[in-house]
Formats: sequence, structure tokens, C-alpha cells
Amino acid sequence: MLACRLRIDVRHVSLPGVVADFIEALAGEAGLTSRQAYWLRLAADEITTNIAHHGYRGEGGVVDLSGEIEPDRLRVSIEDDAPPFDPGCYDPAPRLAVPPAQRDEGGYGLLLAMGKVDEFHYEYVGGRNRNTLIMRLLGGANADGPGGHRTG
Amino acid sequence: MSFTMKMNVEGDTATIRLAGELDGSSAPDLNDLVTQAVGRQVGRLVLLLDELTYMSSAGVRCLVFAHQKLPRGSQITLVGTKPEVAETIRLTGFDRSIVMR
Repeated sequence: MLACRLRIDVRHVSLPGVVADFIEALAGEAGLTSRQAYWLRLAADEITTNIAHHGYRGEGGVVDLSGEIEPDRLRVSIEDDAPPFDPGCYDPAPRLAVPPAQRDEGGYGLLLAMGKVDEFHYEYVGGRNRNTLIMRLLGGANADGPGGHRTG
Repeated sequence: MSFTMKMNVEGDTATIRLAGELDGSSAPDLNDLVTQAVGRQVGRLVLLLDELTYMSSAGVRCLVFAHQKLPRGSQITLVGTKPEVAETIRLTGFDRSIVMR
């Protein structure tokens, strides 16, 4: 099992870029397909951006990303010290019911974060939020394989 | 990670070519350009996206922003949208308010 960690201040001028680099490296090592890598990156981007804007309310704080490559899956955990918030409790239905032109600008991030990963888990552990994203490793003919083309 | 954009205005149509990655870092730049377009009285916005490789919810918010800033009844057309970007837009339901081809 390969594991790596990254701690980043959410006030970093290029938070999405740093998160993307971290996920891209992990996805490459794990052999995710380009599509899997894309959606995992999007999920991690949305979760960390949400933590920065809403969890820490733009006032700064740290986010810890960790990645573990297991035989059949890639697991990415995102932890923060903001007040408890379970993205799984976010219900996008009322927002989506409104015609797009009349909607608020925001609120899409969590919908996208959870929409395409294989598993999403949330827990509040030791005073921290922990969001876990899981992508199953496909392997075989349907996968790009390690070193294959990746988006990003 | 890079993002570039270029706007051309002809008549009442603003055409903006986007390339690279549209995320929370780059979205404010696109909003600024859309604001400029609106200031030039355009009634139609065409986004050329064949070189746009990534779009987060920040990019979707740009589309909503454009939709709300342009005159009522204006058309937004996306051209050459890559599959994952198109899927992102569809997930948010915003594909019903724009033309994708």
C-alpha cells in the first residue's frame, strides 16, 4: 500500500491547483483511468474549496489530504478543523428544482463532489471533519493502466 | 495548471475561446470578461470550449453569472465541449438553459 499526505493552508493562492497536482500524482500511481482521475480531482477540488469558503469562512485554516493506494481502490481522505459539516446531508433537490436562470450562483460544488466517485463517506473524528473519497481500481482492458493518459 | 481566454465581439455576439482549466482560481477572470461583454451590449454569447480540459463548479457559476447578466432572452452557446465538462454541466441541470453543440 502506497500512502502520501499533504497539508495545505486553504488561503493558498492556487488551492485548486495544488489539490489537482496531488490527486493527479496519486491517480497516476494507482492506475486510474483518465475519466476516474478527472472525477476524483473534481471531487477533491470541490470538497477543499467548500471547506475554504464555508468551513473556515475564508479566514484560513489547514486541510490535510491523504491518499492510500490499496489493491482494489484508491482512497483519498480530506480532513479539516472547521465546524462539523456532513456534505452527505446537503440536499441539492430544492436548488435543482429552480430554473437554472433563476438560481443562486452557488451550491453546485457538493453535488459534483459526490456525483461521480465510487464511494463518499463522512465522519467527525477527534474534533475534525473527515471526508473520504474512494475510486475503485478497474484494471484490465477497460482501464488506461498505470502511466496511461490522464486528464489534467 | 493554466487558463487562457480570448474574446472577439462582432455585432451583438461575443465569442470567447477558453483554454486550459476553469476552476476557482480562474473563474473570476471569466466573470470579468463576461461583464465586459455585457457592457458592449451583446445579446449572444458563444463559448468555444474545445481546449477547455477542466471545469469545476466555479465554472458552472460563471455560466449562471453570464445568464443572469446578459439581457433577458439572450442565448449562450457552448461549442466543442469535452465529455467530462459537458457531463459536469448536465449534472447541475444547467444544460437546459444553454445550447451545447
